[in-house]
Amino acid sequence: MREFFEKLSRIDRRIIYLTVFLATAIPILTKITMKIEPLPEVVKAYNYIESLPESTIVMVSIDYDAASMPELQPMLETFLHHAFRKNLKVIMLGHWPLGLPLGQQALEDLAKKYNKVYGVDYVFLGYRPGVAAVIINMGKEIRNVFSTDYKYTPIDSLPLMRRVKNYKDIKLLFGLEAGAVGDSWIQYGYARYGLPIILGTTAVMTPDYYPYLQANQVISVIGGLRGAADYETLVGIKGQASIGMLPQSVIHLVIIAFIIIGNIGFLVLRRTKK
Amino acid sequence: MKKEIPLAITFISGFLLVLALFIPHKPFGNLEEIFNDWYIIVSGFTMLLGIDSLLGYNFGKIRRKEKDAPYALILILSFFLTLLWGVIEIIRTPEHNPFSPSSTFSRYFYNSIFVPLQSTMFAILSFFIASAAYRAFRAKEFNSALLLVSAVIVMLGRIPLGQGAAPYVITIIFLIFAWYFYSEAVGITETRIKLIYILVAILFVVLIYPIGWVYLRQHIPSFSDWLMNVPQMAGKRGIMIGIALGGIAMSIRIILGIERTYMK
Repeated sequence: MREFFEKLSRIDRRIIYLTVFLATAIPILTKITMKIEPLPEVVKAYNYIESLPESTIVMVSIDYDAASMPELQPMLETFLHHAFRKNLKVIMLGHWPLGLPLGQQALEDLAKKYNKVYGVDYVFLGYRPGVAAVIINMGKEIRNVFSTDYKYTPIDSLPLMRRVKNYKDIKLLFGLEAGAVGDSWIQYGYARYGLPIILGTTAVMTPDYYPYLQANQVISVIGGLRGAADYETLVGIKGQASIGMLPQSVIHLVIIAFIIIGNIGFLVLRRTKK
Repeated sequence: MKKEIPLAITFISGFLLVLALFIPHKPFGNLEEIFNDWYIIVSGFTMLLGIDSLLGYNFGKIRRKEKDAPYALILILSFFLTLLWGVIEIIRTPEHNPFSPSSTFSRYFYNSIFVPLQSTMFAILSFFIASAAYRAFRAKEFNSALLLVSAVIVMLGRIPLGQGAAPYVITIIFLIFAWYFYSEAVGITETRIKLIYILVAILFVVLIYPIGWVYLRQHIPSFSDWLMNVPQMAGKRGIMIGIALGGIAMSIRIILGIERTYMK
């Protein structure tokens, strides 16, 4: 009996890895989506975007790369669907150079789908180094930082950018955050210039942004794959995040099961040692 | 002079930037803008420094024929291949952009090599997290039991299946605790303490239905939110205030020239 409980408390990591692999792979392959009840903070973000009038200018910041893509790319795509459906004007930039092409590809694909015109309905500015300095300087005059777009076109030759001087002309910053750039957006963009901000964050980063949410320094925080799936549900899209909900649910339950098994073994062994 | 000039530059720029924050008017307001422009330029050049350091370090490994020299060689070759391919695509594509739709760099290198490699690195984490959670979340004492229960509630609260699964999970956890307290009670000789342990064990069994099946079934997401919004936030705020105070202290030390490690 003791051997059995010892085995329970020292399961080989390869068994854990195999279980995790199967618990992720099988639900992904089924592509089943689940009924999702959106979290209040995601509903708040959706309602804010929904309340923006047509032709409002919004800015998207790509502050992630391929490592966080499964959580943040569905958020970006859903936001672009939402914005283009509502005829909002989108300006995209980013502070993670390795992730910017992901944003650019999504922007170009969805703009094409919604027949949007470059320079009129959307603009891709690209990357400039110096996160905080870039954010502060754009609050004074966007041309101080981005005199051209990513194709080296002077931004004054783009009709959309002629309407933009600084953050006063931008009604929302949708920041997709896998690191600490969101802090800079809040500390400089919001605190100094009053820029309204919604953040889409990876699950591990979400608790870091809760203090800002509670202090109303951001409109809302869409957290992790669950947040992305909630947002997809509200916008009416069955995207990758919704498909990812079943594997995520199963894997959470598997981890909980392992924790319980480990504790049974541990407690019984401790008892018998006494 | 080698030390004094950088110290003077640091002191003057740091002091002026602090002043500019409190007096956002000319000439101080303008100074902040100028410093920010310089910062952006300097940030750009730090990439060159990074590249120089990375290549220098890896060339050194090859020269010294260290054990992992083959990896260093692969890194250097990949670096130059990426650079060369990117430059060719800048010249070749009509948009002069390696990430334009017609670019082979974007299609073959970025989408087919870089993105899958980076995603794989992150995906591997899930295996380690599962293994670490199994080993780390042990109810060794009261604090670790609290951590374990909180982790389980947050994990359940963040998934659509959580509400359905919560009663079963909570029942199992309560039964484990009930068994644990009862089995501890068996070995205790003092009647009063023994009675307390048995009562706690009974309490866990009695609470299975009202807490597990009635309360948590309905409220697991809001309970998970409460954990995130109240206890988690209290800890997080303390950490953030501590970091900010540390940052201020370090900045003052740098401005006043007490902290000089950045010059090494």
